[in-house]
Amino acid sequence: MPKRKLDPLPSAAFQILLALADEDLHGYGIMRQVAEQTCNRMRLGPGTLYSSIQSLLAEKLIEEVGLGEDEKLGQERRRYYRLTSAGRKLARSEAERLADLLRVARVKKIFRGEYV
Amino acid sequence: MSDKVYSWLLRLYPSHFREAYGEEARQLFRDRARAEKGFLPAVRLWLDLLVDLAISVPREYRYGQPQVQAATRQPVEASPSFHVLEVEPPRFGALFLGALFSLVALYGISVLFSHPGEYRRDGASFPQRQTQVDARPSPSGPAVSHAATTAYKRMAASGQPVDARLRADASNPSDSQSKAPLPVGQTSSPQEQVSQLMPQSASRSMNRLAEEVKLDAAERQLVLNTVIKNLKEHYFDPEVARKATNELRGHQHDYDGVIEGGTFARLLTGLIREVSHDRHLEVVYSQSRLPAQPPTPTPEALARYQQRLQQENCTFEKVAILPHNVGYLKLNSFPEPSICRQTAMAAMAALNQAKAIIFDLRDNGGGFAPMVSFLAAYLFDHPEYLYDPRVSPTQQSWTRSPVPGNQLADKPVYVLTSTSTVSAAEQFCYDLKMLKRATFVGERTRGSAHAGIWYRIDDHFGMGIPETRPVNPFSKTDWEGTGVEPDVKVKAADALVTAEKLAERKMLRR
Repeated sequence: MPKRKLDPLPSAAFQILLALADEDLHGYGIMRQVAEQTCNRMRLGPGTLYSSIQSLLAEKLIEEVGLGEDEKLGQERRRYYRLTSAGRKLARSEAERLADLLRVARVKKIFRGEYV
Repeated sequence: MSDKVYSWLLRLYPSHFREAYGEEARQLFRDRARAEKGFLPAVRLWLDLLVDLAISVPREYRYGQPQVQAATRQPVEASPSFHVLEVEPPRFGALFLGALFSLVALYGISVLFSHPGEYRRDGASFPQRQTQVDARPSPSGPAVSHAATTAYKRMAASGQPVDARLRADASNPSDSQSKAPLPVGQTSSPQEQVSQLMPQSASRSMNRLAEEVKLDAAERQLVLNTVIKNLKEHYFDPEVARKATNELRGHQHDYDGVIEGGTFARLLTGLIREVSHDRHLEVVYSQSRLPAQPPTPTPEALARYQQRLQQENCTFEKVAILPHNVGYLKLNSFPEPSICRQTAMAAMAALNQAKAIIFDLRDNGGGFAPMVSFLAAYLFDHPEYLYDPRVSPTQQSWTRSPVPGNQLADKPVYVLTSTSTVSAAEQFCYDLKMLKRATFVGERTRGSAHAGIWYRIDDHFGMGIPETRPVNPFSKTDWEGTGVEPDVKVKAADALVTAEKLAERKMLRR
């Protein structure tokens, strides 16, 4: 069976890494954070979310930090995830790669953004 | 409720995923469902879920299970180790489906085993027939082989007074006429009915003896050359003969190592038919030795044939008027009109007043085309051309209608058929069916037209070649191999009752 590949990094996995950049989150939190940072364009479903989490865990780009409660969501105990230093490094290199692309796009007059 | 639906949907994922994340996925679903209330958000939620399912389920199955990956990553030690990769026992549904598929497969195989004849039918009806003929005890064996070879002669020139049945009869004076129903799938002509009578044990010993005869390269070459020569000299279409010759020569290398005569004959037949599309062209292998020359019938044999026909009322087994004035004629062959004209006329005269007529051909083993036209003449008020794939049209191919005094020309006709309805009887059926003159009740007929002339190649090989092809006025195919389909399909045993009902109903409507 082929091993799941994170190279190139799928956008769902990249968004999860970005979502975990500020704070540790549980699955639903990650989903909300991803929706927020993409202006609601990407709503991760449970299947995509957890299969991405699964492969990120396997590559040690994120880690589990144990169970905890989220006061806003009631008494249920949830599993929280945290970005590892390897995950942060990968996210940075992916961002740089995208920035490079953006630069090229601008030189070619395909994209006229004001920032970055 | 929706939580339950989603739990059920989660079962689509592989078990390792469900174990690891199933509970969390449900939790996430509950959180979303709680947060996104109202109709539109709910629709969007479910849409998201379905899209997510469609994308992620195949991916989960495609990529490796963590256990498998973990197992391969483990250091290989000196001692053998054992990993259980799938911890979950098979589900009940999976077991049930597995059992179902096995049963279907087993049943399919058994069906295939019990119908080998269906596969061979198309290409090799004659070899089967030949085996039948060979399967005879040695004292009378050669005589019947004669009958087999002459059968083709008779078929091609049915005007001759000499019938294969006659010779079979001559060689077996003690045989009473066999009425045993023949197994489906075997082509049969009258002489084979005789061969049916032989004891099974004798047949087996003959087969064993014959199996020892093996082909060598020299005989293969001889057979091939003779087949080609005969095709060129005798086949009615020289262009097709040339093509078939090329085909035969082109596959020369395929013949190497074919040591079984039957296989070789089928191979050649297949190649010839591929280009000719002529089902009457055949190369035939006979396990027993074929006679050098077909014997000429002796006057005694002729006399015996005639005598027996007269004893049996020319195989007009029953002539009767059934209730509601339905005429019934059970005819078990189409005998030579020169001997049986009087009987035939008497039978038809007896039925002349009937309101409908039933021809019972369920045990009719064939016979002579002139008798076919003779009887069919009563069913028309003007001459009709009766197509016979075996001979070029002669004067006897047209019925001599109208028959003076006959009142049956416009009456409904029913013909009872079975798988034992063979040869000339099939011509009767085929032509009446094509002329839409009768309703056929019973089973599909045997499907033997025998339109070739027999050529002997050597002791074990011969071939049938049609030397003429009369134009078929109705359609492209005759009944060779396919038989004549009944209009009303019932078991042969129920055919008479069904036909009587049909006739009654028809007369009520009139």
